[in-house]
Amino acid sequence: MFEIFAYIARGAGWTIVMTFGSAAIGIVLGLPLLVLAESKFALIRGIYNSIVHVIRGVPTLVWLFISFFGVGQLGITLSPVTASLLTLSIIATAYMSEIYRGGMKAIPAGQWEAAGALNLDRWSTLRFVIGPQLFRAVSPSVATQIIGLLKDSALVSTIGVADLVFRAGIMTQYHAHGLYMFGIAGAVYLLLSLPIAVFSRTVHTRITRRYAVA
Amino acid sequence: MSISHLSPNSSALEEGAPAMEGSFVSAVQLTKQFGEHKAVNDVSLDVAKGEVISIIGPSGAGKSSLIRCLNLLEVPSSGRLRIGDATVDFDTGTPSKASVRNLRNYTGMVFQSFNLFPHFTALKNVTLPQMRVHRRSKAEAEERAMQELKRVGLESKAGAYPAQCSGGQQQRIAIARALAMDPQLMLFDEPTSGLDPEIGAEILQVMRKLASDNMTMLVVTHEMEFARHVSNQVAVMVEGSIIEQGPPEQIMTAPNNIRTQKFLSAVLGR
Repeated sequence: MFEIFAYIARGAGWTIVMTFGSAAIGIVLGLPLLVLAESKFALIRGIYNSIVHVIRGVPTLVWLFISFFGVGQLGITLSPVTASLLTLSIIATAYMSEIYRGGMKAIPAGQWEAAGALNLDRWSTLRFVIGPQLFRAVSPSVATQIIGLLKDSALVSTIGVADLVFRAGIMTQYHAHGLYMFGIAGAVYLLLSLPIAVFSRTVHTRITRRYAVA
Repeated sequence: MSISHLSPNSSALEEGAPAMEGSFVSAVQLTKQFGEHKAVNDVSLDVAKGEVISIIGPSGAGKSSLIRCLNLLEVPSSGRLRIGDATVDFDTGTPSKASVRNLRNYTGMVFQSFNLFPHFTALKNVTLPQMRVHRRSKAEAEERAMQELKRVGLESKAGAYPAQCSGGQQQRIAIARALAMDPQLMLFDEPTSGLDPEIGAEILQVMRKLASDNMTMLVVTHEMEFARHVSNQVAVMVEGSIIEQGPPEQIMTAPNNIRTQKFLSAVLGR
């Protein structure tokens, strides 16, 4: 019994790599994309909007199949792990940059103006004035997004990455007991999402406690 | 884009240089256009060192736009501007970063909505800009910050976040933040309009003290008492233009322009 549990739970390794790998890439690469999203040139904004719309408008599973089966046809063969990580990262980046864009709207124009009037340069303004407020504004949405990625990562089992769902599936083929096997997988997902939620709540209350009291 | 550094005693002013040689601020034919609308229409204004000028007029007259043009929060569409040794000519294109920086070095601004940085304590609000812009050490910046907070009567609030301070306190912290940058011209954009009258009075008190310390000030205000008793000059703005300017007593009691009379009788209820 314990061996079955241990076998499935080891799938958490790939689940964690997929989730946090793509989340980390999305959190980092989403920031430079903001420059395109907020560009003063309508053409650049248009290109950005179309790309984000396409990425978000097609189901993750379809993207996964395109990068694994489809791209293979073009002569570039990606391993299941590479195809999965690539796909989830691109999707995460699109979502994160949209979260950042929303967060920027929450920062009053007066903050930029005060920084400008004080003669702060662009870097100091972003680093000390806008950045910390953006971080506060987006942290709950980012946490929600990471939990979404955790759940979406289950899709990588379909192209053969040995994550929680994949291993639960194998155990079902050997021993039946689908309810038990996938129940274990589900429980591990819940367990993994818990620290994300707790961490996000702690960070959020810590930064809002200071300056949300009126 | 031309930036020329005129030495204060240079007698040979180049052609087209501001007429009033003794003035500290000289705005010449500034216009700020938003689409078809001219928020500021061909305004020329000279301010001498130590002078306090109140800019009054109906809302929508372009008062805020005008003083925002002076520190380039709005870049004028045309005209010329000199503050101290920094000059910018808007007829020849967008000002360079360096000329914006030079000009802003002279100015401090106080906003209607305070615009303190909410994630910093009062002390850090006042120290951070000093450290980033003037490269002061933390110790230097903090010493200066405490002086300025004391000047506005809020040294006890140094460790408080803006949200833990009242509106009036936030505005005084914002004034301290601006003063710590050693401005030679203070721009006030309706500094009391977002506050209850009795709280506004404490801001006006601080401003009065600043004026008596010989700070050069441009104040957009609806406070007629302040305009009358603290400023040396009152400029009346209507529809983007300064229609009348003069000593407060004359403007308040014997305005020449019919539109000034209308405006004053509306606000003073007489």
